[in-house]
Amino acid sequence: MARSFTRREFLAMSGAAGAGAVLAACSSGSTPSPSAAASSAASSAPSASPSSAPSAAASVGGPLTFLTWSDHFKDSVLADVKTKIGVDVQISELADNIDGFNALQGGKVYDMVSGDALWVPKYYDAGYITPINLDDFEVSSQLYSMAKTFDFWTKPDGYLAYPWGWSPIQIVYDPAHVTPAPTSWEVLIDTKYAGKVVMENQPTDIMLFAGVATGAVDVYNMTDAELATAKDWLTKLKPNVYKLVQQNNETIQAMASGEAWLCTQNLGAPDRIKDAGGPETVAFVPSEGTTGFIDGEMTIRDGPDTGNVRPYLEIAAQAEVVAQNFLDNGRPLWNEKAYQVLVDMGKKDQADRYLYNQPDQALKMRLKGPAGNTEAYVNAFNEVFGG
Amino acid sequence: MARGSDVLELMPVSPYARLVRAGLRLWALVALGFLYLPVVLLVLFSFEDSKTIGFPITGLSLRWYLGLPEKTTLIGAVANSILVAAVVAVVATIVGTMAAFPLVRGGLRWPGGVRVLFTMPIMLPGLLIGVGLVTFVFGALKLRSLGLLPVVAGHLVLTMPFVVLIVAARLQGFDRRLEWAAEDLGAAPPTVIRRIVLPLIFPAILAAALLSVTLSIDEFVVTFFTIGSQVTLPIYIYTQIKFGVTPEINAVATLILLGTVLALGLGYASVRAGRWALRRIRGRGRLEEAY
Amino acid sequence: MTATPVAPTGDPTTDRPVGAGQRRVARLWPFAPAGLVLLLLFFIPLGIVFVYSFWTTNGSFQLTPDWTLKNYLNFFSTETYLRTFAKTVLMAAIVTVVGLLTSFPFAYFLVRYVGRRWQRIALLAVIVPFWTSYLVRVYSWQAILGEHGLINGLLLQIGLIKEPLDVFLYNDVGVFIVLLYLYFPFAVLALYTSLERFDFTQLTAAQDLGARPDQALRRILLPQIRPGIITACIFVFIPILGEYLTPTLVGGTKGVLIGNLILNFYRGGSFPGMAAGAFLIAAVVLVLLIAFRRYLRIEDVVART
Repeated sequence: MARSFTRREFLAMSGAAGAGAVLAACSSGSTPSPSAAASSAASSAPSASPSSAPSAAASVGGPLTFLTWSDHFKDSVLADVKTKIGVDVQISELADNIDGFNALQGGKVYDMVSGDALWVPKYYDAGYITPINLDDFEVSSQLYSMAKTFDFWTKPDGYLAYPWGWSPIQIVYDPAHVTPAPTSWEVLIDTKYAGKVVMENQPTDIMLFAGVATGAVDVYNMTDAELATAKDWLTKLKPNVYKLVQQNNETIQAMASGEAWLCTQNLGAPDRIKDAGGPETVAFVPSEGTTGFIDGEMTIRDGPDTGNVRPYLEIAAQAEVVAQNFLDNGRPLWNEKAYQVLVDMGKKDQADRYLYNQPDQALKMRLKGPAGNTEAYVNAFNEVFGG
Repeated sequence: MARGSDVLELMPVSPYARLVRAGLRLWALVALGFLYLPVVLLVLFSFEDSKTIGFPITGLSLRWYLGLPEKTTLIGAVANSILVAAVVAVVATIVGTMAAFPLVRGGLRWPGGVRVLFTMPIMLPGLLIGVGLVTFVFGALKLRSLGLLPVVAGHLVLTMPFVVLIVAARLQGFDRRLEWAAEDLGAAPPTVIRRIVLPLIFPAILAAALLSVTLSIDEFVVTFFTIGSQVTLPIYIYTQIKFGVTPEINAVATLILLGTVLALGLGYASVRAGRWALRRIRGRGRLEEAY
Repeated sequence: MTATPVAPTGDPTTDRPVGAGQRRVARLWPFAPAGLVLLLLFFIPLGIVFVYSFWTTNGSFQLTPDWTLKNYLNFFSTETYLRTFAKTVLMAAIVTVVGLLTSFPFAYFLVRYVGRRWQRIALLAVIVPFWTSYLVRVYSWQAILGEHGLINGLLLQIGLIKEPLDVFLYNDVGVFIVLLYLYFPFAVLALYTSLERFDFTQLTAAQDLGARPDQALRRILLPQIRPGIITACIFVFIPILGEYLTPTLVGGTKGVLIGNLILNFYRGGSFPGMAAGAFLIAAVVLVLLIAFRRYLRIEDVVART
C-alpha cells in the first residue's frame, strides 16, 4: 500500500473542502430568509432547511407556488405583490404544457399553473384543477368579453382558467437573406435555406406545423395517411433546421446573431429581435393557416395556498401590468383596458401591429392542445429527427 | 513501483527516447490545454461587456460580478446547493462507510453481486432515477411539501455507491493484525473499530465525502426532475440560460471555481504548515510511519 | 471474543475465521441503512416505473393498467430506434477508444517522467474543471466550436477559410468533442492508477533481453494494465449510452442519441413509452455491468481526487 504520500494529501484537501462545506452550510442558515424585510425580488425564497415544509397548509400569507412560462410574470410585479399583500410568489419554470402535466401527474404540488387553450380541459378531466367564477375577480371586468366565454373553457361548475394572452404562431424571416418574400410554410423546406432555420424543441408542436403545412383535416388527430405525409414534409424540413432550442429566448438570440434566417415564433418577435441587436425581420401568417395559443392561469385543486390566487391576480392582472407585459413580450393579452393604457402611453401603433385590439383573430387559429394519439406523433417525430 | 523521480529513468539513453519523452511532454500540455480551454474562456467571458456570451469581445467590465449580490434567487440557489451537498455528504458517508464493513469482511454471500447492485445507480441513466423518484415519492406515496428532500434523496442514491466502494477498497487491504493486537490487549470490538480502524481509513472516508460534495453540487439531471419550487445552482443556471445567456452565469461559475481552488490551496498549505511544525517539534523521519 | 486462528496463511486480511451463523447476522447490521437507501430510493422507484412501462395512457394522459408489451415492441417496430441505438453505441465506442488513446500517453508521461509532487498537481489539474458548472462549460464549447467561435475565428484569421464553417457544432462532431472532453478525466484517472502499480524496471529488463521498446510495451506493459484499461472503458462507455443532455445542448438536429428519442416520449406525454425505452437501455447497462463485474473498481477512478 504505497499510498501514504497521498493520504496526507487527501486529508488536507478533504478536510479543507469538507470544513468549508460544513461552514458554508451553517452560515447558509442565515442567508436571506423570507421576511418582510426582504424588499427585493421575491420570486424564489430559499427555505433554510430541506426538511421543513415551505408553508402551512391553505393559508393566505403562505407562498404562492406558480408553475408558469417566463412571459407570465415579472420580478418587479412579484415584489409589488409581496409589499401589498405580503404573499411570496415562488415561480417554477415551465417549458411546455406537457411539463406542467407531467409535474402534476407525478404528484408535485403547486397552487397555480399556466396552460394553453385545449390543454386546460385535459387538466380538468384529469382532476388537477378547480374551475373559477370570473365574477369573483374584480379585475376580470377589464377583460375582453369574448375571453370570458370560450366554449372550451366553460364547464357547468365554472370557468377553467383566468385568461392571460394569445398569439398565432408566425414565421419570421430576415428579408436580407430570404427572398422573394415567402407566404407559405413551404419556405421552411426550401433547400436554399439549409441550416438556417431555428425552432423550439417541442415534438408535438412540430408535428402540428407539419400537419398544417400538408393540409391535414384535424391536426390533433391525424390519420395514419396524414401522419405519413406530415412525416415526409418533416424529412425535408430536417436538413434546414440547424438547432432545436429549449426556450424562445434562444430562438430570438439565434435570429439576432444571424445564425438563423427563419424561425417560428409568437407575435412580437421582430421587435424582440431588434432589441437583441438583430436585423429587421418580417413576420407573417402562412397561407395554409397556423396554430396558436390562448393561455390562462389555472387554480390547482389540492394546492396548499390557493387562497392566494385571487389576491395575486387582482394585482398581477391589472391593466398597467398587462400593458407592460405586452411591451416586454410583444404578444397581445386579454385585458381590454390595457389597450387603452397602451394608447395613452403612445404605443397604439405597436399594439395595433400586433393585433392587440383584434382578439377575434384568436379564434381563427387552430388552437394549441395535446395530440390525440400521442405515441404515433412521437414516433413520427422520432423517425424524422432520430440519429 | 513506479519511480518517477528515479534519476536513471530521467536520463534518456538514446535520442529516440529523448524524442519520445519530448513528444509525450508536448502531448501532456496539449491535453491540459484541451481540458482548460473552456474553463479559460468561461472565466474570460465573465468579464466581457456585451450581453451575449461569446466572441467577439467588445469590452471588459466587472458589471456581472457587481450585479451578483443583488440576485437573491442566485444566492438562494447557491445556499440550497451547499446545504443539499452537505447533508448528502454526511448521510452518504455515514451510511456508506457502515456498509463497507460487511461488504469486505464477510457476512454478505455475493459481494460481487452486491458490487454490481451498488454500481447500478451510477451507471443507469439519470433520467430513470429522477423519474423513478418523482413517481414513487409524489405519485405512489403521495407525499407533499417536502421541499428539497427529494433532491437530497436523489443525490444520496447517486453518491452513496461511491462511498461504499471507495471505503471498501481501502478496507480490503487493511492490516487486521492491528485490530487483533488491540483485541489481545483487551479492547472490545466497537472500540477497536472506533479507535483503530476508523482513524486509519479516515483519509479514504474523507475522499469519498469530498467526492459526494463534488457530485452533488453540480448534479443536474436527477435534480431537474425532483426539484420543487426552490432551486439549486445548476437548475438556476439552466433557467438563466433560458432567459437569455448573459455572462452573469460565467461570473457565478468563475466564483465557484475560485472558491474551490482557494479551499484546496488553504487545505494544502495548512497541512504543510502543520507538518513542518510537527517536524520541528518531534524531529525528522518518524512522521511517515504514523500512517 | 478471540477465536483461535487456524492455519494462518500469512495474509492478515483474510486469516481470521468467519464467525458462526448468528455472528454473521450480527455482522450484517451495518449494511442495513445502505441497503434501505438503495431499496427505498432506488429499487422500489425503479420497480414502479418498470410496472408503468407495461401500462398505457388514455386520452387524458392518465396511466391505465391495461398490461401490454407494445411500449417495448414499439422500439423495434421501426428501424429508427435501432439505428439511433447503434449510433449511440458507436459514439460511445469511439469516445472510449479515442479517450483511451489520448489519455494513455498523458498518464504514461505522468507516471514515468514526472516527479511525485508534480504528478499530484497534474492529477488535480485534471479534476479542477469538474468544479465548474457542467452547463457553463458546455456553453463555452459553443463559443469555441460555433460559427462565431474560436476555431472559426482562427481559421478565418490565418486565411484558411473564407466563410465560417458550421461543421463543428450542432452535429455529431460537436457531440463527440464535448463527450470526449467530459469523460477524458475518467480515462486518465483509471489508467494512471493502474500504471502507477506497474514496475517499470520490467521494461528495462525486457530491453536487456533484446526486446524493442514497442515490443516491450505491447507484451509487458499492456497486459498488466489491462484491468485499468477495462475500468476506464466501463466508466466512459456505459454512461454515454444514457446521455441526452450533451446532445441537447450541442447536438442540434443531427447529433441525436437514443436518450433524446426516449426523452421525446416524456415530452410528448407518453410516460410508458419513455419508461420502456429507458429500461431497454438499463437492460443493456446491466448486462455490461454483470459481464465486467470484476472491473468495477470505482476507487481506481475517483479515489485519486
